[in-house]
Amino acid sequence: MTISTMRLSGVAAACALLSTQALASDPSLTNPAISAVLDGYYQSGERPMSERVEGFGLGHTELAMSANIDDMFYGKLTAVVEMHDGETELGLEEAFIQTLAMPGGFSVRAGRFLSDIGYLNNQHVHTDSFSDRPAAYRAFLGSHYFDDGVRLSYVAPTDLYWTMGVEAFKGDNMRAADEHGERDFKNLGVYTAFTKLGGDVGANGSWQAGLSYLRNENGRLTADEHDHEEPAVDDGHDHSHSAQYTGENTYVADFVYKWAPSGNYKYQHLTLSGEYFRVTDFKPLEEHDDHDDDDGHGDEGKDYQEGWYLSSVYQFSPHWSAGIRYGQVDTQMMHDDHFDPQKLKETEVSLAWHHSHFSTVRLQYTNQQGTNFDGFEDDNIITLQYVMTLGAHGAHQF
Amino acid sequence: MRTNSKQLLSKSLKALTLTLALGTVNSAVAGLNIFACEPEYAALAKELAPDAKIYSATTAMQDPHQVQARPSLIAKMRQADLAICAGADLEVGWLPMLQMKSANAKVRSTDQGLFFAAEQIDTLDQLTSVDRSMGDVHAKGNPHLHFDPNRLLDVATALTGKLVQLDPDNKAQYQSSLASFSERWQAAIPKWEAKAKPLEGSKVIAYHSSFKYLFNWLGLEQVADLEPKPGIPPSSSHLASLLNRAKQGDILAIVIASYQSERGADWLAERSDLPVLVLPMSVGGNEQSVDLFTLYDSAIALLLSAKQ
Repeated sequence: MTISTMRLSGVAAACALLSTQALASDPSLTNPAISAVLDGYYQSGERPMSERVEGFGLGHTELAMSANIDDMFYGKLTAVVEMHDGETELGLEEAFIQTLAMPGGFSVRAGRFLSDIGYLNNQHVHTDSFSDRPAAYRAFLGSHYFDDGVRLSYVAPTDLYWTMGVEAFKGDNMRAADEHGERDFKNLGVYTAFTKLGGDVGANGSWQAGLSYLRNENGRLTADEHDHEEPAVDDGHDHSHSAQYTGENTYVADFVYKWAPSGNYKYQHLTLSGEYFRVTDFKPLEEHDDHDDDDGHGDEGKDYQEGWYLSSVYQFSPHWSAGIRYGQVDTQMMHDDHFDPQKLKETEVSLAWHHSHFSTVRLQYTNQQGTNFDGFEDDNIITLQYVMTLGAHGAHQF
Repeated sequence: MRTNSKQLLSKSLKALTLTLALGTVNSAVAGLNIFACEPEYAALAKELAPDAKIYSATTAMQDPHQVQARPSLIAKMRQADLAICAGADLEVGWLPMLQMKSANAKVRSTDQGLFFAAEQIDTLDQLTSVDRSMGDVHAKGNPHLHFDPNRLLDVATALTGKLVQLDPDNKAQYQSSLASFSERWQAAIPKWEAKAKPLEGSKVIAYHSSFKYLFNWLGLEQVADLEPKPGIPPSSSHLASLLNRAKQGDILAIVIASYQSERGADWLAERSDLPVLVLPMSVGGNEQSVDLFTLYDSAIALLLSAKQ
């Protein structure tokens, strides 16, 4: 309640002052952009590696505040309240500063923020068209990868959009499983590099394509002599946002194409997107050498894990949108001295009703086909979910 | 940290000056690089800075509330010396994102190369408090101000000040462009007013408050909206209530803008025997509207066509 009162008085103050400077939304000391996201659902089952449980539940309940700090810096804070096992947990998803006035198209972001690798990762989960991120994101990035670190980005002064950037992160959530706490992890665990290109195709279409690389110093598994060692994947209720399958090197290719008649997004628009992940160098070093000699049979010796998805969402009226998504992951699970291949395929259909710009009610059906995947074999899941935002107007991110 | 940021700032200022200086070398040919959020401001910039390189982020066929911060717009804003937008939160869903992603310090604040038309004039329909149950309303008032010729002239004057601030070497040129525009515009206003005289007191139903300033200026009254609430598309129950209103027989026409859906309007028109007028929302909204003058000509001619 306090929040909405704060917001209203903020807006009133802005009206009274009609401040003549700063950004379009001119958040200032008296009027920071404050918003909350409410996400609740009921679902008939559970998707592996997902944060959503069976039955009634709350998704990410977010409270975000952002404003220009001064003429040099912008700051944003996003707190996330999550419930599980009867406990309420408060997490920080974003707490970063970003430079506003560096010359030459450069900018620096520091603190805790969403990594800019891939297409979906830098977007907030509540803006998605499906209730969960694709399986590849859940397996390799812990749904969405945010961490403490620093980013340097550059935008080229060209008519073709071209940006590139590098990031360095602490990488705690990307560490390989270490059940005995014996491992000496590196404090600076993750480095990324990414580039994105984009532009328009005629008056109706726009596109973006990107390539990203993630180096994970702590991503390689260590050999374990204990019987029946399983990486964290067996815990379906793990809400720690940790990646379930890691490797030293991750490569991501992504593309998105959006279409709207005459470029007018109000009534109809189509979004096609897809991403491919490849994770390599995950096997324990000692293990890796022996493995090829000992093990003759086919697929088992694969030295990479991969995942991809293709998604198509069509908003056919201002009130309704429908989406279809197919995605799969091929992962490797360590058992003693060898690896067993796992596979998960997900086919999903969603239908969403948008009463306004700020409220969505979604019905989603998922069919998942698992092979050796944590007991998931052939499951059908229905999810009914609402996502609503209140407060400051969110951004229409491409 | 403090000193560092100051150093950085002074460095960036130097870089900026250098860029500006380099820019001036080419300015005889290229002039300023201008990013206009809407086509009416691209057209205004063309009147006031004919040598500038001007890009319009949207067309008259696109709802400026619903634009996405797409890659091509980031790339254009990255290169801009000046961004001209309506303001009053019309672009709140995409302009801040473009500013953030384009990392262009020049168009970050209205102290420098950012210009909001709505800040130069008094907007209509300002609200002291807003609540989203009222729909997607703007507390800072109606941003579609380019259909008020007097307000637009004030905006033109202020914009010339901004152009001079950013490119002082060409001050004389900007001032003569303003003088020429102002003279032609002021000559056109009484002609439009005379032409539109028969429209005074007419009642219309319109999609949204898109033409509030035009109606306000010419003395038309918008008695109902096709939208049940701003930003919410027409619903069948709302249209049914409009049909009852239309049956009173005093409505001239149903007015929609070039980027608004005709569906609700057509439904109502069929049952009420009223004409549907698709007015150009901006320059490029129909074949006739090639600049600000012909935009006004066309909008008034279309309204008059319902009178006959």
